[in-house]
Amino acid sequence: MNDHHDGQERKVVIVPCSGIGKTYGTVSREAAYEVVEDLRPETAQLVALSLLVLGDETARAAVAANPAVTIDGCKLACATKMVQESDGTVVRDFAVLDVYRQHRQLRPRGIAELNKTGQELAHVLAGEVAAVVDATHRDEYGPVKEESHA
Amino acid sequence: MPEFLELTVDKFTFKVATDRLYSAEGLWIKEEGSTVRLGLSDFFQQRNGDVAFAEIAGEGTGLESGEEIAVIETIKVDISLYSPLQGEIVEVNPAMEMEPEKINFDPYGEGWLARIAPVAWNTARAELLTPEAYYERVKREAEEELTTG
Repeated sequence: MNDHHDGQERKVVIVPCSGIGKTYGTVSREAAYEVVEDLRPETAQLVALSLLVLGDETARAAVAANPAVTIDGCKLACATKMVQESDGTVVRDFAVLDVYRQHRQLRPRGIAELNKTGQELAHVLAGEVAAVVDATHRDEYGPVKEESHA
Repeated sequence: MPEFLELTVDKFTFKVATDRLYSAEGLWIKEEGSTVRLGLSDFFQQRNGDVAFAEIAGEGTGLESGEEIAVIETIKVDISLYSPLQGEIVEVNPAMEMEPEKINFDPYGEGWLARIAPVAWNTARAELLTPEAYYERVKREAEEELTTG
Protein backbone atom coordinates (compact mmCIF):
# COMPACT_ATOMS: atom_id res chain seq x y z
CA MET A 1 0.00 0.00 0.00
CA ASN A 2 2.80 2.34 0.89
CA ASP A 3 5.23 1.24 -1.82
CA HIS A 4 5.78 3.49 -4.77
CA HIS A 5 6.79 2.56 -8.31
CA ASP A 6 10.36 3.69 -7.61
CA GLY A 7 10.61 1.23 -4.73
CA GLN A 8 10.61 3.97 -2.12
CA GLU A 9 8.35 3.47 0.85
CA ARG A 10 5.69 6.15 1.02
CA LYS A 11 5.97 7.03 4.65
CA VAL A 12 6.35 10.34 6.38
CA VAL A 13 9.96 10.72 7.48
CA ILE A 14 10.71 11.54 11.12
CA VAL A 15 14.11 13.10 11.78
CA PRO A 16 14.93 13.68 15.46
CA CYS A 17 17.88 15.51 17.00
CA SER A 18 21.10 13.51 17.12
CA GLY A 19 22.51 15.29 20.17
CA ILE A 20 24.00 12.41 22.11
CA GLY A 21 24.42 13.26 25.77
CA LYS A 22 21.77 15.96 25.64
CA THR A 23 18.57 15.52 27.59
CA TYR A 24 16.37 17.30 25.07
CA GLY A 25 17.94 15.33 22.26
CA THR A 26 17.04 12.14 24.08
CA VAL A 27 13.44 13.33 24.44
CA SER A 28 13.30 13.96 20.69
CA ARG A 29 14.60 10.48 19.89
CA GLU A 30 12.33 8.72 22.39
CA ALA A 31 9.34 10.50 20.86
CA ALA A 32 10.45 9.55 17.35
CA TYR A 33 10.91 5.88 18.34
CA GLU A 34 7.43 5.80 19.82
CA VAL A 35 5.91 7.22 16.65
CA VAL A 36 7.61 4.84 14.22
CA GLU A 37 7.54 1.74 16.42
CA ASP A 38 4.24 1.99 18.29
CA LEU A 39 1.94 4.77 17.14
CA ARG A 40 2.33 4.97 13.35
CA PRO A 41 4.55 2.12 12.07
CA GLU A 42 2.54 1.93 8.84
CA THR A 43 2.86 5.57 7.91
CA ALA A 44 6.04 6.89 9.50
CA GLN A 45 9.70 5.97 9.15
CA LEU A 46 12.77 7.09 11.04
CA VAL A 47 15.77 8.62 9.34
CA ALA A 48 18.85 9.21 11.48
CA LEU A 49 20.17 12.74 11.30
CA SER A 50 23.71 11.42 11.48
CA LEU A 51 23.18 9.51 8.22
CA LEU A 52 22.03 12.69 6.50
CA VAL A 53 25.09 14.48 7.81
CA LEU A 54 27.27 11.70 6.41
CA GLY A 55 25.49 11.90 3.06
CA ASP A 56 24.10 8.37 3.19
CA GLU A 57 22.33 7.82 -0.12
CA THR A 58 19.41 5.81 1.27
CA ALA A 59 18.72 8.36 3.96
CA ARG A 60 18.94 11.26 1.53
CA ALA A 61 16.66 9.50 -0.94
CA ALA A 62 14.04 8.86 1.75
CA VAL A 63 14.10 12.51 2.76
CA ALA A 64 14.00 13.75 -0.82
CA ALA A 65 11.04 11.52 -1.70
CA ASN A 66 8.84 12.00 1.35
CA PRO A 67 7.57 14.83 3.52
CA ALA A 68 9.51 15.15 6.76
CA VAL A 69 8.68 16.00 10.34
CA THR A 70 11.71 17.16 12.32
CA ILE A 71 12.15 17.20 16.09
CA ASP A 72 14.88 19.54 17.27
CA GLY A 73 16.48 19.44 20.69
CA CYS A 74 17.76 23.00 20.70
CA LYS A 75 17.65 26.26 18.83
CA LEU A 76 20.42 25.21 16.46
CA ALA A 77 17.67 23.16 14.76
CA CYS A 78 20.16 20.77 13.13
CA ALA A 79 17.47 18.28 12.13
CA THR A 80 15.42 20.87 10.27
CA LYS A 81 18.44 22.44 8.59
CA MET A 82 19.86 19.10 7.52
CA VAL A 83 16.58 17.93 5.96
CA GLN A 84 16.37 21.18 4.03
CA GLU A 85 19.97 20.81 2.89
CA SER A 86 19.15 17.27 1.75
CA ASP A 87 16.48 18.60 -0.62
CA GLY A 88 13.74 17.48 1.73
CA THR A 89 10.49 19.19 2.61
CA VAL A 90 9.84 19.87 6.27
CA VAL A 91 6.09 19.88 6.82
CA ARG A 92 6.45 20.57 10.53
CA ASP A 93 9.41 21.28 12.77
CA PHE A 94 8.90 20.47 16.44
CA ALA A 95 11.10 21.85 19.18
CA VAL A 96 11.23 19.86 22.41
CA LEU A 97 11.54 23.09 24.37
CA ASP A 98 8.26 24.45 22.98
CA VAL A 99 6.42 21.31 24.05
CA TYR A 100 8.05 21.42 27.49
CA ARG A 101 6.93 25.04 27.92
CA GLN A 102 3.36 23.88 27.45
CA HIS A 103 3.81 21.06 29.99
CA ARG A 104 6.07 22.48 32.66
CA GLN A 105 5.24 19.69 35.09
CA LEU A 106 7.00 17.27 32.71
CA ARG A 107 10.54 18.38 33.32
CA PRO A 108 13.01 16.11 31.53
CA ARG A 109 16.15 14.98 33.29
CA GLY A 110 18.67 12.27 32.53
CA ILE A 111 20.60 11.50 29.38
CA ALA A 112 20.98 7.81 28.58
CA GLU A 113 17.75 7.17 30.46
CA LEU A 114 15.10 9.80 30.90
CA ASN A 115 13.38 10.37 34.20
CA LYS A 116 9.68 9.60 34.49
CA THR A 117 8.49 13.08 33.58
CA GLY A 118 10.92 13.17 30.69
CA GLN A 119 9.41 9.95 29.38
CA GLU A 120 5.95 11.47 29.76
CA LEU A 121 7.08 14.54 27.85
CA ALA A 122 8.39 12.31 25.06
CA HIS A 123 5.02 10.54 25.02
CA VAL A 124 3.12 13.83 24.73
CA LEU A 125 5.44 14.94 21.95
CA ALA A 126 5.01 11.61 20.17
CA GLY A 127 1.25 12.14 20.18
CA GLU A 128 1.62 15.55 18.59
CA VAL A 129 4.00 14.19 15.96
CA ALA A 130 1.64 11.29 15.21
CA ALA A 131 -1.19 13.75 14.57
CA VAL A 132 0.96 15.60 12.05
CA VAL A 133 1.95 12.28 10.45
CA ASP A 134 -1.73 11.40 10.04
CA ALA A 135 -2.60 14.68 8.37
CA THR A 136 0.49 14.68 6.19
CA HIS A 137 0.14 11.10 5.06
CA ARG A 138 -3.52 11.60 4.21
CA ASP A 139 -2.72 14.74 2.20
CA GLU A 140 0.25 13.24 0.38
CA TYR A 141 -0.67 9.62 -0.19
CA GLY A 142 -4.35 9.25 0.62
CA PRO A 143 -5.86 7.17 3.40
CA VAL A 144 -4.00 4.13 4.70
CA LYS A 145 -5.50 0.70 4.15
CA GLU A 146 -7.41 0.52 7.42
CA GLU A 147 -8.93 3.94 6.92
CA SER A 148 -10.06 3.17 3.35
CA HIS A 149 -12.18 0.31 4.66
CA ALA A 150 -13.75 2.37 7.40
CA MET B 1 21.85 49.55 17.72
CA PRO B 2 24.76 49.01 20.07
CA GLU B 3 28.28 48.38 18.87
CA PHE B 4 30.03 45.24 19.97
CA LEU B 5 33.37 43.85 20.96
CA GLU B 6 33.58 40.42 19.37
CA LEU B 7 35.50 37.44 20.59
CA THR B 8 35.86 34.14 18.77
CA VAL B 9 36.93 31.10 20.76
CA ASP B 10 36.98 27.81 18.90
CA LYS B 11 33.67 27.69 16.96
CA PHE B 12 31.92 30.21 19.20
CA THR B 13 31.65 33.97 18.73
CA PHE B 14 30.65 36.09 21.70
CA LYS B 15 29.52 39.69 21.54
CA VAL B 16 29.94 42.29 24.27
CA ALA B 17 27.80 45.40 23.76
CA THR B 18 29.86 48.51 24.37
CA ASP B 19 27.04 50.80 25.54
CA ARG B 20 26.54 49.27 28.98
CA LEU B 21 28.23 47.88 32.08
CA TYR B 22 28.45 44.30 33.34
CA SER B 23 28.44 42.29 36.53
CA ALA B 24 31.05 39.58 36.88
CA GLU B 25 28.38 36.87 36.62
CA GLY B 26 27.18 38.11 33.24
CA LEU B 27 24.34 40.55 33.79
CA TRP B 28 24.46 43.71 31.73
CA ILE B 29 23.24 47.00 33.19
CA LYS B 30 22.34 49.93 30.95
CA GLU B 31 21.66 53.38 32.32
CA GLU B 32 18.47 54.93 30.95
CA GLY B 33 17.72 58.28 32.58
CA SER B 34 16.75 57.70 36.21
CA THR B 35 16.46 53.92 35.80
CA VAL B 36 18.70 51.08 34.64
CA ARG B 37 17.79 48.15 32.43
CA LEU B 38 19.15 44.65 33.14
CA GLY B 39 19.68 41.66 30.94
CA LEU B 40 22.01 38.76 30.29
CA SER B 41 25.16 38.89 28.23
CA ASP B 42 25.62 36.98 25.00
CA PHE B 43 28.33 34.87 26.64
CA PHE B 44 26.01 33.99 29.51
CA GLN B 45 23.18 32.89 27.24
CA GLN B 46 25.41 30.87 24.93
CA ARG B 47 27.18 29.18 27.79
CA ASN B 48 23.99 28.15 29.57
CA GLY B 49 21.84 27.11 26.63
CA ASP B 50 18.29 27.67 25.49
CA VAL B 51 16.07 29.29 28.10
CA ALA B 52 12.96 27.35 29.02
CA PHE B 53 11.60 29.64 31.72
CA ALA B 54 12.57 32.98 33.22
CA GLU B 55 11.04 33.88 36.57
CA ILE B 56 11.74 37.44 37.55
CA ALA B 57 10.86 39.15 40.84
CA GLY B 58 7.73 41.26 40.43
CA GLU B 59 7.35 44.95 39.79
CA GLY B 60 7.55 46.91 43.01
CA THR B 61 10.01 44.48 44.57
CA GLY B 62 12.71 46.18 46.58
CA LEU B 63 16.15 44.67 46.07
CA GLU B 64 19.34 44.79 48.04
CA SER B 65 22.57 44.37 46.18
CA GLY B 66 23.29 40.64 46.01
CA GLU B 67 19.65 39.66 46.45
CA GLU B 68 18.07 37.17 44.05
CA ILE B 69 16.31 38.94 41.20
CA ALA B 70 15.50 36.05 38.87
CA VAL B 71 15.75 32.32 38.30
CA ILE B 72 16.47 31.12 34.80
CA GLU B 73 15.81 27.54 33.76
CA THR B 74 17.68 26.47 30.65
CA ILE B 75 17.99 23.14 28.91
CA LYS B 76 21.20 22.65 30.88
CA VAL B 77 20.84 24.24 34.30
CA ASP B 78 18.82 26.31 36.76
CA ILE B 79 20.53 29.57 37.59
CA SER B 80 19.76 32.12 40.28
CA LEU B 81 20.64 35.66 39.28
CA TYR B 82 21.57 38.21 41.89
CA SER B 83 21.04 41.93 41.59
CA PRO B 84 24.29 43.86 41.26
CA LEU B 85 22.62 46.95 42.72
CA GLN B 86 20.13 48.16 45.28
CA GLY B 87 16.81 49.50 44.05
CA GLU B 88 13.23 48.76 43.12
CA ILE B 89 11.98 46.85 40.10
CA VAL B 90 9.79 49.24 38.13
CA GLU B 91 9.21 47.06 35.08
CA VAL B 92 9.60 43.41 34.14
CA ASN B 93 9.90 42.49 30.49
CA PRO B 94 6.44 41.10 29.68
CA ALA B 95 7.95 38.91 26.94
CA MET B 96 9.66 36.79 29.59
CA GLU B 97 6.33 35.17 30.46
CA MET B 98 5.68 33.61 27.06
CA GLU B 99 8.84 34.17 25.02
CA PRO B 100 11.87 33.74 27.28
CA GLU B 101 13.77 32.51 24.23
CA LYS B 102 14.26 36.18 23.42
CA ILE B 103 17.13 36.00 25.90
CA ASN B 104 18.85 33.68 23.43
CA PHE B 105 17.84 35.40 20.21
CA ASP B 106 18.36 39.02 21.26
CA PRO B 107 20.17 39.18 24.62
CA TYR B 108 21.04 42.87 24.35
CA GLY B 109 17.68 43.97 22.97
CA GLU B 110 14.28 42.34 23.29
CA GLY B 111 15.63 39.76 25.74
CA TRP B 112 16.08 42.29 28.58
CA LEU B 113 14.87 41.16 32.00
CA ALA B 114 13.86 44.14 34.11
CA ARG B 115 14.14 47.85 34.68
CA ILE B 116 15.20 49.07 38.09
CA ALA B 117 15.09 52.41 39.87
CA PRO B 118 18.47 52.24 41.57
CA VAL B 119 19.47 53.48 44.99
CA ALA B 120 23.04 54.76 45.34
CA TRP B 121 23.64 54.16 41.67
CA ASN B 122 27.00 55.93 41.63
CA THR B 123 28.31 53.53 44.25
CA ALA B 124 26.94 50.47 42.44
CA ARG B 125 28.24 51.65 39.09
CA ALA B 126 31.76 51.87 40.41
CA GLU B 127 31.64 48.16 41.20
CA LEU B 128 30.58 47.11 37.69
CA LEU B 129 32.82 46.07 34.82
CA THR B 130 33.41 48.15 31.72
CA PRO B 131 32.76 46.39 28.39
CA GLU B 132 36.51 46.04 27.92
CA ALA B 133 36.99 44.49 31.36
CA TYR B 134 34.06 42.13 30.82
CA TYR B 135 35.43 41.19 27.40
CA GLU B 136 38.70 40.16 29.04
CA ARG B 137 36.79 38.13 31.61
CA VAL B 138 34.77 36.38 28.90
CA LYS B 139 37.96 35.63 27.00
CA ARG B 140 39.59 34.11 30.06
CA GLU B 141 36.56 32.04 31.02
CA ALA B 142 35.86 30.83 27.47
CA GLU B 143 39.47 29.78 26.96
CA GLU B 144 39.52 28.03 30.33
CA GLU B 145 36.35 26.17 29.47
CA LEU B 146 37.81 25.14 26.14
CA THR B 147 40.95 23.71 27.71
CA THR B 148 39.14 21.95 30.54
CA GLY B 149 36.40 20.61 28.24
